Amino acid sequence: MANRENIMRHLNIVGQLQPALHQPQHAPYPDQIDNAHWRAYTRASHDVGGEADVPITWEEKEEEVWEHNTFVTCEVLAWRGMWNAEERRRRQNVDVGQTIYLGLPYYGRWLMTIAMGLVDKQHVKLTELIDKIEEVKQRAKENGGKVYD
Amino acid sequence: MSNSDDHDHDHNAAPMVEEISDFEVLEVAVRELCIEKGIFTQDDHNQWTEYMHTLGPLPAGRLVAKAWLDDDYKQLCIDDPVKASLAVGVDWVNSMPSKFGTPSDYCNPRILVDEPKVKHVVVCTLCSCYPRPILGQSPEWYRTPNYRRRMVRWPRQVLSEFGLQLPEDVEIRVADSNQKTRYVVMPTRPEGTDGWSEDQLAEIVTRDCLIGVAMPRADRKVDDKRHVHKAIHPYGH
Repeated sequence: MANRENIMRHLNIVGQLQPALHQPQHAPYPDQIDNAHWRAYTRASHDVGGEADVPITWEEKEEEVWEHNTFVTCEVLAWRGMWNAEERRRRQNVDVGQTIYLGLPYYGRWLMTIAMGLVDKQHVKLTELIDKIEEVKQRAKENGGKVYD
Repeated sequence: MSNSDDHDHDHNAAPMVEEISDFEVLEVAVRELCIEKGIFTQDDHNQWTEYMHTLGPLPAGRLVAKAWLDDDYKQLCIDDPVKASLAVGVDWVNSMPSKFGTPSDYCNPRILVDEPKVKHVVVCTLCSCYPRPILGQSPEWYRTPNYRRRMVRWPRQVLSEFGLQLPEDVEIRVADSNQKTRYVVMPTRPEGTDGWSEDQLAEIVTRDCLIGVAMPRADRKVDDKRHVHKAIHPYGH
């Protein structure tokens, strides 16, 4: 029930959730998890409004070439109909799970989502993607380690 | 931490710059595959890149300046922001290059008009929704989980971290953007700008003022300086 007490409790639990990298026992027994924790685990991990956090230094950031290109590719994929913005957001904000959501750079999630979308929708076979990655790496090696000219 | 081992030097791992970035490789790979498979063309990608180059905060700053000088236009900004945006060269509905708006920004902008005792500020708690067509790309800090977590709950404190100290009797209204609705803040016109032209006024309405984390001042034409995190391979260099 969405009363203030339950919302605060929810936020407190979520605030303690961390990407589960190391736990003595993953996949707890049913009697080791209560409904409040079930709710915290099954929330969409991008729903962060109201969670506690410490003050940080606000700074500007230069954009990497790959970040800019990733954004453009996502928009063009929507323009040309591979997905729409709602699906893209669900894929890159929700489907990735909390570890990747908090662990990858902002556009890193966007980029991963492009690759997964292309494969999921069978525009590209997984082997084609792997071969293309190898091809680009090889070109970069021949180009003195530079991916972009 | 134990002093008995000498693993400390391992913590200074080789920076990413020393190796080929998997992000860069994957970006090139998916883009080339899309083009090879005919999902989009290189020209599509170029057109969108060029469209991105046309975006920035200037139209929104101009919109505010016009509204400060023209009450009818200010009312139009409140009643019909799409129509008001046309006057500053931004077409939310028929924007280039798709001719039906950008896929991610839709067409429901809202202008939040500050008052002497009411200050608006914008956030997107769920992702990083931002009025791109009229304000350009969002700053990285706007996209951080930290800003999104705290702004809706401790806005006065977060604003003070941006250098905006608001008196207790000023009400703060935080607008949470979403995929359809994008907000631009119209701050109050600062003192010391009597008799200024639209061009002069537009110059002091900076990006941060339009997000709501700063207030325009007669003596400031750029946002307060912040540390800039450098890119390894910066775009546009």
